[in-house]
Amino acid sequence: MIGTKFSRRALLGSALAAPFIRGAAAQGEPYVLGSVFPQSGPNAEYGPVFTSGVQLALQHIEQDRLLQRPIRYISEDSQALPQQGVIAMTKLVNVDKAHWTFAAFTSVSKAIAPIGDRAKTVMINGGAVGPDLSGLSPYFWNVIPLAHLETRTLLPYLVGQGKKRFALVYVDDPLGDAILKELGEQLPKAGGELVGSFSIPRDAQQFGPVAARVRQVRPDAVYIASFGAQQAQIIKGLRNNGVSQQLCSYSAMNLESIRTLPEANGMTFTVQKVDYAGGDALTRRFAEDYKKAHNREPTVYNANYYNGCRLFGLLAQELEKTNTPVNGDTLRAALLRVRKFPLVGGTGEFDDAGNMMAAIEVVQWNNGSLTKLV
Amino acid sequence: MIAYFANLATLVAIFGILAVTLNFMVGYAGIFSVAHAVFFGLGAYAGAQIALTVAPDPLLACGVAALIAGVLSLCLALPALRVRGEYFVAASLGLQMVALTLFSEVKSLTGGIGGLTNIPRPRVFGVEVGVLPLALIALGLLLWAIHAMANGSFGRTLKAIRDAESAAEALGKPVAVAKALAVAFACAGAGVAGALFALHMSFVNVESFTLDQSVLVMAMVIVGGTGTLFGPLVGAVLLLSLPSALSFLTFIPPTEVGSVQQIIYGLAMTLLMVFRPAGLLGDQNKGKSHQ
Amino acid sequence: MLFVQLLLGGVQNGALYALTAAGFALIFGATKVFHVAHGSAFTLAGYVFLYGWTHNWNSALSSLAAVAVAVAFGIGMERLVYRPIQRHEGSFFTVFVAAFGVSIVVQNLVGVFAGRGFASIDTPLSNASEVLPELFLADVFWVAIIVALVMFVALTLFLSRTNAGVGLRALAQNPDLLRAYGLSSSRLSMLAFALGSALVAPAAILTAMTTGLNEAVGNHVMLLSMASTIVGGVGSLRGAALAGLLLGVAESVVLVFLETQWASAASFLVLFGFILFKPSGMFGAAVAR
Repeated sequence: MIGTKFSRRALLGSALAAPFIRGAAAQGEPYVLGSVFPQSGPNAEYGPVFTSGVQLALQHIEQDRLLQRPIRYISEDSQALPQQGVIAMTKLVNVDKAHWTFAAFTSVSKAIAPIGDRAKTVMINGGAVGPDLSGLSPYFWNVIPLAHLETRTLLPYLVGQGKKRFALVYVDDPLGDAILKELGEQLPKAGGELVGSFSIPRDAQQFGPVAARVRQVRPDAVYIASFGAQQAQIIKGLRNNGVSQQLCSYSAMNLESIRTLPEANGMTFTVQKVDYAGGDALTRRFAEDYKKAHNREPTVYNANYYNGCRLFGLLAQELEKTNTPVNGDTLRAALLRVRKFPLVGGTGEFDDAGNMMAAIEVVQWNNGSLTKLV
Repeated sequence: MIAYFANLATLVAIFGILAVTLNFMVGYAGIFSVAHAVFFGLGAYAGAQIALTVAPDPLLACGVAALIAGVLSLCLALPALRVRGEYFVAASLGLQMVALTLFSEVKSLTGGIGGLTNIPRPRVFGVEVGVLPLALIALGLLLWAIHAMANGSFGRTLKAIRDAESAAEALGKPVAVAKALAVAFACAGAGVAGALFALHMSFVNVESFTLDQSVLVMAMVIVGGTGTLFGPLVGAVLLLSLPSALSFLTFIPPTEVGSVQQIIYGLAMTLLMVFRPAGLLGDQNKGKSHQ
Repeated sequence: MLFVQLLLGGVQNGALYALTAAGFALIFGATKVFHVAHGSAFTLAGYVFLYGWTHNWNSALSSLAAVAVAVAFGIGMERLVYRPIQRHEGSFFTVFVAAFGVSIVVQNLVGVFAGRGFASIDTPLSNASEVLPELFLADVFWVAIIVALVMFVALTLFLSRTNAGVGLRALAQNPDLLRAYGLSSSRLSMLAFALGSALVAPAAILTAMTTGLNEAVGNHVMLLSMASTIVGGVGSLRGAALAGLLLGVAESVVLVFLETQWASAASFLVLFGFILFKPSGMFGAAVAR
């Protein structure tokens, strides 16, 4: 039941400075973009997924000659841990003087937001969905719909399918706490009921005993709020120990290791709506180039970070037109002035807090492929 | 780059405090604790709460942190009085694991995994000061205190206990009091380090106080040399700058950076122990220093 | 029924802990090495079996490979790490740090080569069915108990009936005497490491089927083995095994009374309590302070 986090070196995170793009046409001091993604540890599966979205957008910005100045991209490792994230973000802000940063994971985002806020550096989240990420800082923007939007789509659907009694298995961190609060408030409104909630440590690995407790509350559906490698362990642990009810979750289930897990068959969750094939030219180009580079279909995460990076290109282009210096304040002013941007998945519109609005759909894993339910 | 090195230097000073205080327990009193991060954590939470709710006064924060860590060090002193050797290691391990769960769950005080954010910068008489000078002063004072104690009667009592506890007891040395005091002093020192850490990072959460961290501090002491005054400092410098130095190896693919660093770090620990088992500054001929 | 369910689940895990704890206790008792890298043998064995499984090896062959790798790792640690340190009369903690370094290396190498994150073996063995109302048991429950029992009977026979086994026990009691009789304590230490490491393989394989593996899976196992050795009483294999079982049950049954997030602290509270109130453990001799 434990987990012991052991040799994940608790102190200095990795810091990799890799000059990524230096365009021949672009002149002058480069813009510095940095990311704080998990590149090692149990959530390392996400790092390359997020990074590839950023990298494709950088290529497209370069190809389109969107900007006059070149871009330097720096990837830092957060290990999905707040402390590592703080160290990485401190380096990006103080040493690299980053103009624009990418964050992921609710707990990491909450920890680094004060640093970016103090330095007035824009932080873009395209992966974490904790509802309290909205309005964390004037410079913290979300290009992903947060979990409260996801649950508000999922719960009415499932309740409509006759699932009234919900049990929640949630990881003991800010994301889990947020989902717990959300289910407690939203389920009664949707006509359902939260009959049990089971908190687990982040590094817990055995879920047999938890499954026994879950069965006891006789749920119709079990909501899982975790991320990364643990999700698969929870699903297997529940399914192997007699929990046969409907499993449901949020967008973090959109992961290769879940897709291939036999026990995850029938897992119902929410993602944001992106039409890769029938969408606009930008979306199709993204999907085609992504497939060319990685030999597989892009996921929403790829699209989100592509959008997050493209947003920088569009805003900086605005500022370059008027010879305005590019910094957190001018970027924010430009965001609030323009509001609507052509992005993958259609036009992205931002509210005052810097949250992008998006449509949500309910999907289900069926023998290794996603079926759209609503 | 200056900001980068200042950050690293501050961390080295803070971990230097942890290492020299742990060394006081290990090297002089023969108490091998793998729970030093617990008291580091207690100090960090205490310091952070003081800065957040009372005032960002580093002296007050450090004082309260030292007090709380020192008093709660009784949890560690108790088993230290009952058992030694592997048994005590196991006891401290148990304490470390239980404390970690408590740190995660008592969210009203610790913030759990989400941690305490936005801890204000330290101010002395209304002037904002850096943590680096504070940490260096604390480190200097502690080194001086340890040096004085090691060469005084308290130090002799401790060494007598370390080398032959029953004999020391037979000679009428106050074994229980001396051990408890040594533990309290070392843990209070760790508390000070914790308060400085909280003020430096502006953020603390449970992940900084794991078993890993305890072992890291232990490794600093052993790598540098137990029972030497400056050995633990050398260990702290070495083990903290190693990963930073490795991060400049840009040919490693971004997704493997973390693992490669960890592998080199682990290998360095093992090889150092195989080839210099008494530590870098320790007397290799003297060999083992306890039992 | 919840209690029975949790109890049986605890027994299943406890049986596996008992195996790894007995391995740790065997090594510690005979050689006085606090083998912190014991968990790494577990991780390696689990991943080797997984490799064999995914490459459609015969499961007997996969199991053998897992045992072989665990044994090789144990012997390698003894030869390359522990022995050189002890030759320098390195202290107990020097050994601790060195072994810890190795466990970090193993964990990350596994991450690099086998991929990070969750990996499991998909087998009907681990799929529970309702045997009584509200009581779910998987076949792996019986497998775990039978495997643990068989291993213990074999180990006990080996230690009491063979010369090498008697030598091992003698090594634990009095190494000097052993030397006087001309037995090689060096070969016996290797034997202790080989046997102790082999014991983790079945536990690792069963874990791969039930909870699944990740590169850090060995850490928890190592901590529990160590705790069991102390709780059971140093020097007592039977004590370590029973303590392993007890801690496994404690971890699970505690959920009858407490919220799920406290489970991890339970076994360490037991350990802490034993050290404070009965440091000799359940079966150990009195401890010299």
